[in-house]
Amino acid sequence: MPIDCKHIRNFSIIAHIDHGKSTLADRLLEFTGTVEKRQLKEQMLDDMELERQRGITIKARAVRMEYVHKGERYELNLIDTPGHVDFHYEVSRSLACCEGAVLLVDAFQGVEAQTVANAYAAINQDLAIVPVINKIDLAYARVDEVLVEMEQSLAIDSAEVIKASAKAGIGIEDLLAAIVERVPPPKGDPNAVLRAMIFDSHYDSYRGAITYVRLVDGTIQKGQKIRFLETGTTHEVIELGQFVPQRRACESLSAGQVGYLVCNIKDVKQVHIGDTVTIPGDAAAAALPGYKPPQRMVYCGLYPSEGENFEELRDALEKLAINDPSFEYQPESSEALGFGFRCGFLGLLHMEIIQQRLEKEADLDLVQTAPNVTYQILKSTGETIEITNPQDVPDSGQIEEFRQPIVRTNFLVPAEFIGPIMQLCTDRRGTYLKTEYLSPTRAMLTFDLPLAEVIYDLHDKLKSVTRGYGTMDYELVGYFPADLVRLDILVGGKKVDALSIICDRRDADRRGRAIVKKLRGEIDRHMFEIALQAAIGTKVIARETISAMRKNVTAKCYGGDISRKKKLWAKQKEGKKRMKSIGSVDIPQKAFMAVLDTGGTERT
Amino acid sequence: MNIRHAYVHVPFCRHRCGYCDFTLVAGRDDLVERYFSAIERELSRVETPLHLDTLYLGGGTPSHLGPRGLRRLFGILRTRLASAAQCEVTVEANPLDVTDAFVEAAADCGVTRVSLGGQSLDATTLRALDRDHAPVDVVAAAERLRQRGIVVNLDLMIAAPGQSVADVDRDLEAAVGLSSEHVSVYCLTWEKGTAFDSQRRKGLVAAVDETVERAMFERAIDRLEAAGYEHYEVSNFARPGFRCRHNEAYWDCRPWEAFGPGAARFDGRTRSTNHRSVTAWIDRVLAGADFTGDRDAMTDEQAARERIVVGLRRRDGIDRGPFLDASGFELDTLSGSAIGGWVAAGLAIDDGRRVRLTREGMLLSDGLWADVLGA
Repeated sequence: MPIDCKHIRNFSIIAHIDHGKSTLADRLLEFTGTVEKRQLKEQMLDDMELERQRGITIKARAVRMEYVHKGERYELNLIDTPGHVDFHYEVSRSLACCEGAVLLVDAFQGVEAQTVANAYAAINQDLAIVPVINKIDLAYARVDEVLVEMEQSLAIDSAEVIKASAKAGIGIEDLLAAIVERVPPPKGDPNAVLRAMIFDSHYDSYRGAITYVRLVDGTIQKGQKIRFLETGTTHEVIELGQFVPQRRACESLSAGQVGYLVCNIKDVKQVHIGDTVTIPGDAAAAALPGYKPPQRMVYCGLYPSEGENFEELRDALEKLAINDPSFEYQPESSEALGFGFRCGFLGLLHMEIIQQRLEKEADLDLVQTAPNVTYQILKSTGETIEITNPQDVPDSGQIEEFRQPIVRTNFLVPAEFIGPIMQLCTDRRGTYLKTEYLSPTRAMLTFDLPLAEVIYDLHDKLKSVTRGYGTMDYELVGYFPADLVRLDILVGGKKVDALSIICDRRDADRRGRAIVKKLRGEIDRHMFEIALQAAIGTKVIARETISAMRKNVTAKCYGGDISRKKKLWAKQKEGKKRMKSIGSVDIPQKAFMAVLDTGGTERT
Repeated sequence: MNIRHAYVHVPFCRHRCGYCDFTLVAGRDDLVERYFSAIERELSRVETPLHLDTLYLGGGTPSHLGPRGLRRLFGILRTRLASAAQCEVTVEANPLDVTDAFVEAAADCGVTRVSLGGQSLDATTLRALDRDHAPVDVVAAAERLRQRGIVVNLDLMIAAPGQSVADVDRDLEAAVGLSSEHVSVYCLTWEKGTAFDSQRRKGLVAAVDETVERAMFERAIDRLEAAGYEHYEVSNFARPGFRCRHNEAYWDCRPWEAFGPGAARFDGRTRSTNHRSVTAWIDRVLAGADFTGDRDAMTDEQAARERIVVGLRRRDGIDRGPFLDASGFELDTLSGSAIGGWVAAGLAIDDGRRVRLTREGMLLSDGLWADVLGA
């Protein structure tokens, strides 16, 4: 007997980072008896080491709980979501599998940028919202004000808000009841043709690909043949089950349920997130809408610091990409850095996480080039090309229109910081759209800003001008024409491809000066003078000089001196190995990030 | 193995100069007797007495032993270290120690050269260098030694804190006026852990600007060459026939023996250094324990590469034929491409047979060795 949909509730928890999402999830697992208290590790659902370390959720997770409400037994599926702006894509994937969302707001921090962004994502997908105000037991809790903020910014009726403290276990039962009562049951038909949505996957070294599915219609049995519509492959279901939160096998899953499939798939590339699972043959169901493919916002080059590790890097990237379809990589080569990869990320945090995982898990020493956003160029031939590497910018004669990504950015700040935010965004060529007051003391400012400006240092700057109280969130509006140029950096007269950037023409002087100045500090003196130049085309716009070393000779070299000096020289040799030689200039690896120096001190 | 060269380290000083990081003890003359016993004991390693072409007593300050101490030490050394004909016997000396009695003792002991720690002939510079003697002491010491027929190797330091190029010029004039047979010129090195280095870190003294230092060093080269000295190694200048043969043995990579704390010996492949602590060396030698510290054991190729470095620090450079004979390696196999690069950059001259550094190359030579020692 398949479970009746009316006894199933599928929901996510959405919140701004640090508002207590993971703690609340832990509490729900504990309260429903899914996990016994003594087994509860903190942040039960975050099982990647990095996630624990950084206290953030990166990948979506799904866990099944049981809850008895008014004498009826319910299956509650919690599909966890990441909270950081970089992972909007994963959030929307999770939300697509749910009928409801618990919107969690910190009773002291109040409504913040990702609260708004995630809430709207849920509202736009027609999800029932169960609002919760968390941490009400804190001495500094300002429950009433936060209720007003929720009403003002998200039109949430304060009478519907559940007051809770995940940490202290207050309001958990109310919340579970509200989930059952307010979140509608899924609408599938267990007797229809099988139709399920793949919303995630991960790779298990023993079982191969573990495919996460939400069943929309029909049922799925152990041993059954299934078909992935998009990839067009047929598989046998070896095992299926649910996460409790470990994998627990069962005989079948039916419409409305969330679970996993093991189909003896060795290559995770065969599992497409967003694909539809159905039966083989002519009677197959039609494809589900699927997901928008992830949008990579940021690109950078990753190169092994020693040439011979190229293969190792490729293997490591491949392994990472298996569990992270939002990350992509393409081989590329640079005159300066040799063979490496152009990698695309959802955002800067995503980039940082991938890089850390490569260095930690694969023990690779990497040279990373400064990140850049994706640009579009309309060529005079009428062709539009996408630029992910500044090197690919064609000659200015061939460019009809140079477009950059613009993001609509919401800032949630205490009202006293409106001025500094205005200044910050104006300096970054932002277009002011509006200010809304969530309460007399908190405001939401909206700007359209070039994404390039946002990713470089806007988050840090926001935190510093608002003393940590401001938060931001952004979403892509589209690509718009701008007066952009490629700024090249020449070291000793040779263009260093890995140092080129794309920037606004009006910023080129400042950026160019800042970069060559920074490079002067990063590159050691050589036996010859080294010119550092920033140029647009053939026009040099900034120059610095590293003076030649004038004298570098050991005075005493007698008897035992040689052994001691040799150690010093050997150290130099080691140091040299870790550098990249451009012409005859040795450039240390970290110099390749010098282009991130936006000349911040020169602008207010 | 036929060892023709020996070094003896005498670690005693009246006081430690602020720039010095050598193995020494200051104000510990109470250790001298035990030092003699330990030297005697260490010498017993040598089964058959060596017949030396050169013997060098360095320090510390060997002259700090005084005339009687010097005679005692030579008495001990001579049991195992015999002089071959024309043996060069060098002793380092502080000008203040070079009394008539000392010169007499030195001559009696067969000393042929004195390396005189003059450092400067200017009172201000001597004070800046933390030295305890006056310019007049240097002049007097040199005169005494000359009268007794002992060759003088004058040590000069340049780029002392506060020194100007004009100061160096004056020092050079005064040094040339002493007409010693040999001059060593050392740019002050700010060794880690010295008093000078910590004062510099605290901003109490400043190193001379690199460009100025280079100018000073070039003035020294020019002035001494003009006065008839041959610039035969980075820091060394000699009138014809008066090169320091002992040091040349190091640079020819010939094997040598060494005794005393911190002293390094070389058997052609391995350089091993005695324990650098004076008391530890004494205690261990007298206890019959292992008293060696670092060992630098090289493969034939590593030894050959090292030979390139010390060879190129010499003005004569490296002659390909003798290099092959002595090392068993073709020079160009080991560093042909590096040499090609230096020649192209004006840092070296290669006539097909001999490679030597230009002045520019010599002045920047530490930056070249990473390429040679590589592989």
